[in-house]
Amino acid sequence: MKLTKGSALTSALALGALLALTGCETVQETRTVDAKGPEAVNTSAINSQDWANAADQLVASLLSSNALNNAPRTPAILAVDRVINNTQLMVDTDLLIKKIRVALTQTGKIAITNTMGLGERAVVASEAAELEEMQSGKKEKVLVPDYTLYAKLIQQSDKGKNVTQNTYSFQMSLVQTKTGLTVWEEEKSIAKQTRRAGSIGW
Amino acid sequence: MNTSNPSRLRVTGSLFVAGLVLLLTGCTNVNTYERAQSQATPNYVADKRVITDNTLAGTFRVVSINQATVSGNLLKIQATVENLKSSLRTLNYKFEWVDAEGMAVDSPNETWKAIQLQGRETQTISTVAITPRAVDFRLKFRE
Repeated sequence: MKLTKGSALTSALALGALLALTGCETVQETRTVDAKGPEAVNTSAINSQDWANAADQLVASLLSSNALNNAPRTPAILAVDRVINNTQLMVDTDLLIKKIRVALTQTGKIAITNTMGLGERAVVASEAAELEEMQSGKKEKVLVPDYTLYAKLIQQSDKGKNVTQNTYSFQMSLVQTKTGLTVWEEEKSIAKQTRRAGSIGW
Repeated sequence: MNTSNPSRLRVTGSLFVAGLVLLLTGCTNVNTYERAQSQATPNYVADKRVITDNTLAGTFRVVSINQATVSGNLLKIQATVENLKSSLRTLNYKFEWVDAEGMAVDSPNETWKAIQLQGRETQTISTVAITPRAVDFRLKFRE
């Protein structure tokens, strides 16, 4: 069979349309990376590595300060106070606080109360304590926290001609409840620069 | 003067390229001044080194490692690192902890951290063990 010029053109067009409609299928690829490593996707926001870094630096600062050396008991009771998020990001502040809680608990120097403060509330534990009180008729003594932990996240945005810099500050204070004095304070910052698409060099 | 001499042109070209590279990479070195007779008495740690990346070892050098005890019984390690190159470099590092039985101590905040060192700059990196069980450490570098 001999193809005419017209039918060849029609066939080519049909083939092109078919390819365009079906699309050249590309297989989506997913890989597992270290969430706290340099492979973590870096964005202008706070990524998983930034949270881990901030928590690590704050814990190291608190432990290096020896502020817990004068605690009235071991482990000292800590209540988590407010964690204010003044950034433009909708983030769960437990991304920071939980890491700090885990680290401080592992030191054996701190026990965190879950029945006081604005942190995690152990609802079932509270109910169980109430039930125990009701059944035994004895009022259990609630331990008063020796310290409270207060934190604040702040974002500052600075815009240059081609570069935007977001500086995230992680502020944290440890307050001794007996005296009301701040016995430790720290601020750690992470600055992230994002270059406008199409601009050359930093 | 014969300006079209090929060897002269080659030298001029090389100098131009070298200058351009220096201009683009931003060769910034750091000058440091400190007390001539140090008052500090660091507790230095003798270290064992396992080098698998010679390029990295030729870029960053661990000058010294010293240790201290903080919060009563927690080990603090500090390493002094030097950038051996004349340009800004980023170093990724990570501390790992080991207990008395040689078992790795998992820490929630054990993470790769990045620091930037200017040309020939020396900086300290440090960490604190979050458990008294940690008696040894490992410091890892990657570029």
